[in-house]
Amino acid sequence: MTTDRPFPLLCCAWVFAVAAFSASAWSATVQVDVRDGAGQPVSGAVVFLESAQAQRAVRPLQGVEMAQEKKQFVPAVLAVTTGTEVHFPNHDAVRHHVYSFSPAKKFEIKLYKGTPSNPVLFDRPGVVLLGCNIHDQMVGWILVLDTPYFAYSSATGQPPGGALLAQVPAGSYQLRTWHPGLPVGAPALTQPLAVDADAGETRAAVRLTGLTP
Amino acid sequence: MKLRSLRHSLVARLIGISLLLLLAVQLAGFVVVRASIERNARAQITRELDTDVRVWRRLLEQKAERLRQGSALLAADYGFRSAVTSDDMATIESALANHGARIGAAVTALLDTQLALRVVSGEAGMAQLPAALVQVVPALAAEPAGSQIAVINGLPHQFVMVPLRAPLVIGWVLMGFPVGQPLADEMRQLLSADVAVRVGDGKGGFSVPVSTLAPQALAQLRTGGAQVNELKLEGGDTLLVRASPLSQVGVPSEALLLRSVDAVVAPYRQLQWLLAVITVAGVLLFALGSSAMARRVTTPLRSLLAATRRLSRGDYSVPMEHTARSDEVGDLARSFDHMRIDIGRQQAEIRNLAYRDRLTGLPNRERFRAAVLDALRADPLPGHSLAVLMLDLDRFKHVNDVLGYAFGDRLLQAVAGRLQPMAGTPGDMVARHGGNEFALLLHVADAQAALRVAERIARAFETSIQFDDQTVDLSASMGIALWPEHAQDADMLLNRAEIAMYGAKKRLSVALLYDPALDSSSAQTLSLLGDLRRAVEHGELRLYLQPKVALQAGVGAAAEALLRWQHPQRGLVPPMEFIPFAEQTGFVRQLTLWVFEQVAVLLAQSGARDIALRVSVNLSTRDLLDPDLSLRLGAILERYAVRAESICLEITESAIMDDPQRAEAMLNRLAQQGFKLSIDDFGTGYSSLAYLKRLPVNELKIDKSFVLGMQSGGGDVQIVRSTIDLAHNLGLTVVAEGVEDAILLNRLRAMACDEAQGYHISRPMPAEEFLGWHAGPGTAFGAAP
Repeated sequence: MTTDRPFPLLCCAWVFAVAAFSASAWSATVQVDVRDGAGQPVSGAVVFLESAQAQRAVRPLQGVEMAQEKKQFVPAVLAVTTGTEVHFPNHDAVRHHVYSFSPAKKFEIKLYKGTPSNPVLFDRPGVVLLGCNIHDQMVGWILVLDTPYFAYSSATGQPPGGALLAQVPAGSYQLRTWHPGLPVGAPALTQPLAVDADAGETRAAVRLTGLTP
Repeated sequence: MKLRSLRHSLVARLIGISLLLLLAVQLAGFVVVRASIERNARAQITRELDTDVRVWRRLLEQKAERLRQGSALLAADYGFRSAVTSDDMATIESALANHGARIGAAVTALLDTQLALRVVSGEAGMAQLPAALVQVVPALAAEPAGSQIAVINGLPHQFVMVPLRAPLVIGWVLMGFPVGQPLADEMRQLLSADVAVRVGDGKGGFSVPVSTLAPQALAQLRTGGAQVNELKLEGGDTLLVRASPLSQVGVPSEALLLRSVDAVVAPYRQLQWLLAVITVAGVLLFALGSSAMARRVTTPLRSLLAATRRLSRGDYSVPMEHTARSDEVGDLARSFDHMRIDIGRQQAEIRNLAYRDRLTGLPNRERFRAAVLDALRADPLPGHSLAVLMLDLDRFKHVNDVLGYAFGDRLLQAVAGRLQPMAGTPGDMVARHGGNEFALLLHVADAQAALRVAERIARAFETSIQFDDQTVDLSASMGIALWPEHAQDADMLLNRAEIAMYGAKKRLSVALLYDPALDSSSAQTLSLLGDLRRAVEHGELRLYLQPKVALQAGVGAAAEALLRWQHPQRGLVPPMEFIPFAEQTGFVRQLTLWVFEQVAVLLAQSGARDIALRVSVNLSTRDLLDPDLSLRLGAILERYAVRAESICLEITESAIMDDPQRAEAMLNRLAQQGFKLSIDDFGTGYSSLAYLKRLPVNELKIDKSFVLGMQSGGGDVQIVRSTIDLAHNLGLTVVAEGVEDAILLNRLRAMACDEAQGYHISRPMPAEEFLGWHAGPGTAFGAAP
């Protein structure tokens, strides 16, 4: 059951996005195709659009969780907007000691079970690398974004490696792509993207090189 | 001499050879064992070094593992990771130092994800560290589970590197550990193998910063070559070396593992010493044992040798040793002992035969002479003399001839029996001196005592001896000589006793004491063969003739050849003084030949031929027994062209009777040659007429004792007459000797005797005077009408 949880959440986001799209007559959909150096579709990448206008549109997300199941962070990569408070529910029988030494957010939740009462506030944009001091193999990422326009490239989407951003107001953006396979501390790939509301759908292609599998 | 005998002795040779063989075997074994020990030791060390290398590598891996664990511990430390992410350099360095110190790391460092050095904690003077790390880090990053060795400050260091995760790799923790003395010591403790670390200086040279070797070996290693498999130490030990490379990059370095050959060989050496001791002990035991064995063989041999030397000296009294032994030596000893006893017995028998007269059981001549010598050697009592009494039985030959030899032998035994009691004093001896001659050795006070013994003997002989039906009167002539009055030595004493004895016989007295007068012309002075030889060679002999005259009508002249010795000092020596001696020694043969040759010379003269001279020559027994006599005489006749018929050979009856068969054969041969033969001294012997008849004799010569006896009347006249008749009946002529006056001559003529010879007619005269006599005085004896 627990595995299904992120799905309704995403659905909610999706619903919200559609609602926004429908609410604005000059918004558009952005289809990003993420491929690696070899031209293969890449899944698990986070694609987001930045601009000053987008920064102003940022609102903290609610009810976001970075769960721990079977000694893994679930999801492995979580993108949130700045100011979002993330819960770290522990669904395992063992205790975890979640920490982050990342500059974007340094914190640790010492040996706990269940869901800690206080969620962690991610108030600075950046990549936060999560680890468990008990279980070295547990690695998780929380991507704190200064934009509400972001999406995950999916392995199962159409086409594979595609990420769809909906209800993106027309304007000029920086299309940025981040993937956990990028070297630690490396900045997200940046490329300019103009979103034209009249076109309905804007297409963009991202080529990620130097990924480690 | 000791050494020489030792070298030749059986014992020494036996032991020597055995010992040499034993030593050779032991030596060969020793050499083989020694070589094999050396080889095995090296093989063993090689195997051990293989193990050493593996252990050494394992030791290094363990060290690396410890380092890795230490590093991992540090890398996992939350605080450290927190410090690293906070870029708190001071904290990071102190954490590094802290953890490095925990495990004794010399170097601890933090590298970033790009493998660049961020923080270093280590001992001072690690200036070369960054350069060294550049060499090892890429390799370590490529294989995080491995380790790398690089040289820093001349000492190899082992490095490990582990990633620092938070949770992804955010850096690397590196730790270094010196491959130093503690590690080498640990290795040494672990395997008791020596370890040395060599570090190259990049220019072909090297240094040895770490070593467990003794200073001397270390110095030798330092001066040795780069490639070293064996290290020969000055002390004689050898170290086998195995190299194991340390640093894979940068400055080359290697660990040398060394093991001593001596250490492995040492127990075997001890074993070898033990073996040597056992060998020496074995050799000693063997030498002792075999010398004892050999002595058991050679000691009896030596004693047997000594025994045979005693035997060869004539000492048969000491029994042989080792006869009780049951082995071969015992057999030999027993056999030797039997030989000793047998030889001793035979020797005694021989001595008995040699010194004892078998017939009478009395000592013989040799024994008697030895007894005299002994008696002379032993000082007699003061005032006592030694006397030798010689006794000769009268007419013994007569007894022998008439009554037979067996009777004669019994007679001699009886005489011995009667003489035996005469030797009363201890040391006295009665001996048979030969034939019918006995000798007594007497210890007496003076000559009178000796004469008294002679009287006793004469009295003992007065009783006649009777065997079976025969009765024989005994009579003897005795001569006595005393020592020291008459002689200085034994031979002279015996000789003079004999002279006295002959004197007694001549004077028909019973006993006679030696008198130098008896000896004036005695045989002793003449009995030198040399004198007689010289006489022949120097022409001292003279031929004398004594004429014979014919009593009946007849022709021709006759004479008997006689021998005289014209001695340069003593004048004319009568034949009685040298003929018996010559007969004894056999020299008479030369004399006979000399006479015969002179006679031949005489007969070859024309004067002798003219008167048809016949000459009689006397032959002795020895002449007659000479098988070549007839040849010799024949050769002389031939040389002087003299006819055998003009020579008459006179032989005494006794000469014939000594060996009648040989005599008869010779006489036959002489008769065939043409010699006339005459029996001399007829009537004194015992020849039978039957025998005479067989002989080729022409003439009988009546002994002068009968002729002289005719003067006193009695039986002799009858004997002469009947002899003449007998001879004539046998066809023999008769010659009478000893005709000393005309009456005898006429009576003989009346008895029809054929010829006469004697002083009445003429004494013997030198041969050269004979013809003159014959022509002058001789004519007076011409045959009576």
